Amino acid sequence: MTLTPHTENDAAYVIRNAASRGTTLSIVGGGTRSGFGNSVIAEEILSSSALSGIVDYEPAEMVMTAKAGTPVAEIEALLAANRQMMSFEPMDHRAVMGTAGEPTIGGVFAANVSGPRRFVAGAARDSLLGIRFVNGRGEIIRAGGRVMKNVTGLDLVKLLAGSHGTLGFLTEVTFRILPVPETVETIVVSALDDHSATQAMAAAMAMPVEVSGAAHLPQTVRARFLDGQLPEGEATVLRLEGLEASVSVRSEKLGDMMRRFGAVSRLGPEPSRNLWQEIRDVAPYKGLPKKPLWRVSAAPSVGHQLVAALRLEAGIDAFYDWQGGLVWMQMEGDPEEQRLRRYIKALGGGHATLVRAPDAVRAQLAAFHPEGDAVATLSARIKQKLDPGGIFNPGKMAGV
Amino acid sequence: MSEAIRFLEPRTAVVARRATIIGDLVDLLPPECVVHEARELVPFETDAFVAYRRLPLAVVLPKTTEQVAAVMKYCHRYGIPVVPRGAGTSLSGGAIPQEDAVVLGLSKMTRILEVDPANRTATVQAGVTNLSISEAVSPEGFFYAPDPSSQLACTIGGNIGMNSGGAHCLKYGVTTNNLLGVKMVLVDGTVIELGGKHLDAAGYDLLGLVCGSEGQLGIVTEATVRLIAKPEGARPVLFGFNTSEEAGACVADVIGSGIIPVAIEFMDKPAIEICEAFAQAGYPLDVGALLIVEVEGSEAEMEAMLKKIVDIAGRHGVRTVRESQSATEAALIWKGRKSAFGATGRISDYICMDGTVPLGKLSYVLEKTSEIVERFGLRVANVFHAGDGNMHPLILFNANDPEDAARAEEAGNEILKLCVDAGGCLTGEHGVGIEKRDLMRHQYSEADLNQQMAVRAAFDPDWILNPSKVFPLEGRPAA
Amino acid sequence: MQTNFTAEQLADPQVAESEKILRRCVHCGFCTATCPTYVTLGNELDSPRGRIYLIKDMLENGRAADAQVVTHIDRCLSCLACVTTCPSGVDYMHLVDHARVHIEKTYRRPLIDRMIRNVLAAVLPYPKRFRTALALAKVSRPLAPLFDRLSPLKPLAAMLKLAPTGTLRKSDATQPGSRAPKTERRGRVAILSGCAQPVLDPGINEATIRLLTRLGVEVVVPQGEGCCGALVHHMGKEDPALDFARSNVDAWTREIEGGGLDAIIITTSGCGTTVKDYGHMLRLDPRYAEKAARVASLAKDITEYLATLDLPTLESRGLTVAYHSACSMQHGQKITMAPKNLLKNAGFVVRDPPEGHLCCGSAGTYNIMQPEISAQLKARKVRNLEATRPDVIATGNIGCMTQIGTGTAIPIVHTVELLDWVYGGPKPSRLALRKAGARAGVSL
Repeated sequence: MTLTPHTENDAAYVIRNAASRGTTLSIVGGGTRSGFGNSVIAEEILSSSALSGIVDYEPAEMVMTAKAGTPVAEIEALLAANRQMMSFEPMDHRAVMGTAGEPTIGGVFAANVSGPRRFVAGAARDSLLGIRFVNGRGEIIRAGGRVMKNVTGLDLVKLLAGSHGTLGFLTEVTFRILPVPETVETIVVSALDDHSATQAMAAAMAMPVEVSGAAHLPQTVRARFLDGQLPEGEATVLRLEGLEASVSVRSEKLGDMMRRFGAVSRLGPEPSRNLWQEIRDVAPYKGLPKKPLWRVSAAPSVGHQLVAALRLEAGIDAFYDWQGGLVWMQMEGDPEEQRLRRYIKALGGGHATLVRAPDAVRAQLAAFHPEGDAVATLSARIKQKLDPGGIFNPGKMAGV
Repeated sequence: MSEAIRFLEPRTAVVARRATIIGDLVDLLPPECVVHEARELVPFETDAFVAYRRLPLAVVLPKTTEQVAAVMKYCHRYGIPVVPRGAGTSLSGGAIPQEDAVVLGLSKMTRILEVDPANRTATVQAGVTNLSISEAVSPEGFFYAPDPSSQLACTIGGNIGMNSGGAHCLKYGVTTNNLLGVKMVLVDGTVIELGGKHLDAAGYDLLGLVCGSEGQLGIVTEATVRLIAKPEGARPVLFGFNTSEEAGACVADVIGSGIIPVAIEFMDKPAIEICEAFAQAGYPLDVGALLIVEVEGSEAEMEAMLKKIVDIAGRHGVRTVRESQSATEAALIWKGRKSAFGATGRISDYICMDGTVPLGKLSYVLEKTSEIVERFGLRVANVFHAGDGNMHPLILFNANDPEDAARAEEAGNEILKLCVDAGGCLTGEHGVGIEKRDLMRHQYSEADLNQQMAVRAAFDPDWILNPSKVFPLEGRPAA
Repeated sequence: MQTNFTAEQLADPQVAESEKILRRCVHCGFCTATCPTYVTLGNELDSPRGRIYLIKDMLENGRAADAQVVTHIDRCLSCLACVTTCPSGVDYMHLVDHARVHIEKTYRRPLIDRMIRNVLAAVLPYPKRFRTALALAKVSRPLAPLFDRLSPLKPLAAMLKLAPTGTLRKSDATQPGSRAPKTERRGRVAILSGCAQPVLDPGINEATIRLLTRLGVEVVVPQGEGCCGALVHHMGKEDPALDFARSNVDAWTREIEGGGLDAIIITTSGCGTTVKDYGHMLRLDPRYAEKAARVASLAKDITEYLATLDLPTLESRGLTVAYHSACSMQHGQKITMAPKNLLKNAGFVVRDPPEGHLCCGSAGTYNIMQPEISAQLKARKVRNLEATRPDVIATGNIGCMTQIGTGTAIPIVHTVELLDWVYGGPKPSRLALRKAGARAGVSL
């Protein structure tokens, strides 16, 4: 049965009921990311879809408050009309996960979904200023607020962001927004191998030019971006945004520096916008639901080493975002979980999350990266403090 | 000394065992790492929130994570409260001890462990000062962005405890947005690592929870922070206005127009006079309010952005616009601003508020603040981070006059409630500490606070870590 | 900061002054960051803020000093970096002075400590005794390792190690009398001969006199002047310190009222800080207060005075100078730019070392009394100076020269010696010892 409360109070009532009966709930927003993590086995579905609507929007204060079930599209449209945006560029998972429906803003924050700008401008969690949620006891809790700077009490906002509906049912979110940059440009450095590309991206990030996107698209994926319009060879792409005058100065500077690494070309504003959206949405790996897809976060300097090591032993395809620190890795067959996690550890740490895999494969492994014993114990205790009955999304995240 | 804010009653069983505890601590640590003589404990009785003071039972100054773990394990075993301390620069009393507590100071853990330019990270011990991170990475062309005014002295451990901000956070975010990982000792002495050189958490965002937890979840001993390439140039510009209202409206308009400078700082007339007397930075003395707006980037970028800001300021009746002409001048402008609190000490004792309000309410809250302070027969100087609405009214009073002190405290409480009622919060960057603890119910409901305390209990069920702080003493769950 | 003094306590002008100083402190902690002992030891008790608190507690309770308080006050170098840093304008210098006097009056130090202090106080301010002592030290040097092993005797070892190994040269620069200008007269100044400096390095005042007379300044060494009193003042020995001050005030007043003085030139910044404070030190002495204030207002560091003379700009000589600003120069007297500008104007490439605000650990007799902390600070200072890869180190204080000189092979000279050289005097002897043209293109 799907429960679809229309108010926060209704949601609290429903959850209190479920808690008293020990009924487990699978929490959904638009359902576009439902394949994320391990499968949830719950008795009922609790949907935020009827908790929808923008509650407050003050463009001059760059803050928006929306109910959790508000479609992302609605928010983005309103922001765009005011030349504003969510700086963390939330990824749209539909194409890559093969799902339909409308992504919701609650889902974005519950999964801490971010895009290419994350490595400089922060993740969804960094823009999230305040939340309202219902905990596993059915109590309505408010955390954070609507101002940028707020250190009043424990930061439950961060804790709930990225907890995938296992700690509480988000009912309302307040987040920071930013002006849309006047223009955007992309510098393409062509034909660099993964290692040189990593060095080039690090060099670019060390320059005072405010690169806001740094991705490397190896030969195997290059043609799957911009309908194959990127220049021949591997493409290392660097994004610059801001005032017209400033971007042109900076792209000169960056281009000059990058010539030391390889041939340099520029995309121009429109193709740039499209390219970074495709990178955000992992375009090369869309529409292949059978192939397991990993999202690996590691130190930028080791992303390509991880891929090189795995490539010797498994069939993989990969490309890099976040200066090399985010590796999107599509497996030909076996998900190679153990090998992958072993290498990540050997390379200094990080984590791999299984974003997509056939149900049978998902059932065999931990979709979220297992934590050390002490941290796992803490996480389990925290879960117990917010959802003592364990009714929210049971099984979704390992150990909690 | 003010007495309005209570501390927890000392645990008699702990106080009674004082001699034994000190003997054990001396066995655990090298001799120079334990302070226990009565006279020597006195300087640890407070931090930069001097209105309140309590002597600790002992002070330990460990040099390694292992020593921190040994102390925590011991204190946990015997139920001895522990109050962590960085440089003791807290403006909310975060490091004020209590009679049954061991102060755990990180001031001997001052090593920069690694600077990694390729990954733009620095890993440092918790006692490293904020500014020395930027100094250490400067030769590589980087800096560490959060810059609390006390950055010369305050430690990164303390910054993490309070989730410190600073003037330049308008563009670069506060500590939590720039922190990648920590090594931390849990209450029972277990050492864990959260995060690292990679981004985001594998599971729950415990790093985000720890940042700003005011030393109540564990003791951070090492931190990995994000570095940013130093801008090509930076230029603070002074904008003088007739009134605070005009300046406040200008701030809202600048932000509203989609321009985000690196910093927008506000000073009212009393603050301008105080800071100018100390720094001789060339602040205009004939204006009612001053904005310091900093832009950065290449010459062309700074010009372009400044032009837009000057246009907006013109619409708000700006009287003087003065660009800094040299790096020395720019440094002086910032020196004056960053020394504002201390420089106020030249003319008066003060308590410093830290409420944040929505930008649209800046002018209103400024006006109300003056009214409140006047009603109590006191004076106020305002100097704060206007770009993000983080206000710092400095209430001037005479600390040697108990009635004056009590009035100042009451006026402060009213101002903070005003901030909350205006849609803001009690504290933007200084932390709740002891100072704002009893106002927490004004911002949060019973359920909100209970939930926070429950999460806190997942780390420290026995209230050993910094126990008198953050959460009102009444209504705490039983251990 | 709140204070708790009774009206009776405040009747004592010293206490009243200290109370005023304490009231200004807001306990912000900025001073900790630039305090050499705090950054070395990492303990609040060894920071300015910690000491202020210890002093406050001691004075408020009208208590005699005790071993703990003494330990932490003794570790203070009196470098006054905290005074430069303090936004609230806390006059730490006079507060710690008061504390030292209080300690001297109310605390009985262990026998050996007492003896060493008394010996230093009886020897260092007197050039003849000091000269004899150094001769003795030379032959006793082999005993240093033995003293080093016995904790209370470590200061003796430190003393022996600091004593110069070469022969001590006598100089006529200290002979009382006037030195006439070599060109048209443009001023008349007195020069402080002082005590330890002319014994350790007579070349400094010789260079000063040469340079000034060449520039048309008459230089007088007044009859009856001597140690400025700083050495005993920093030990809290108030009476002898004031006696030194009075005797100098008398000597200079005779000159002021006789031939007249444009300035009292001081070539050791440690002494300069003290002489400039004479007005304060003698403020409670009705017979001297006014005279002392006049003397203090005439006191000038040699670089301060030279900066008023408009020296000609010289071609670059490609010689890199690391300028070490003595604490008494930059924090005590707030002279920061003048020495560097003079050197740059004279054709030197001037480099500022990192952490320039930190003390080298010399600090009067500190390197003798606190050899361990002093050695750590020396090593840190030498590391920072050498990082600028200089040909020579210049500074304005004999204490720093002795301290840093025992830690590096790079020659260290007084700023005025370099200026005297390039404006027509002889090459400083420490530079002459180096092989000429050690670096290509450099005319050493």
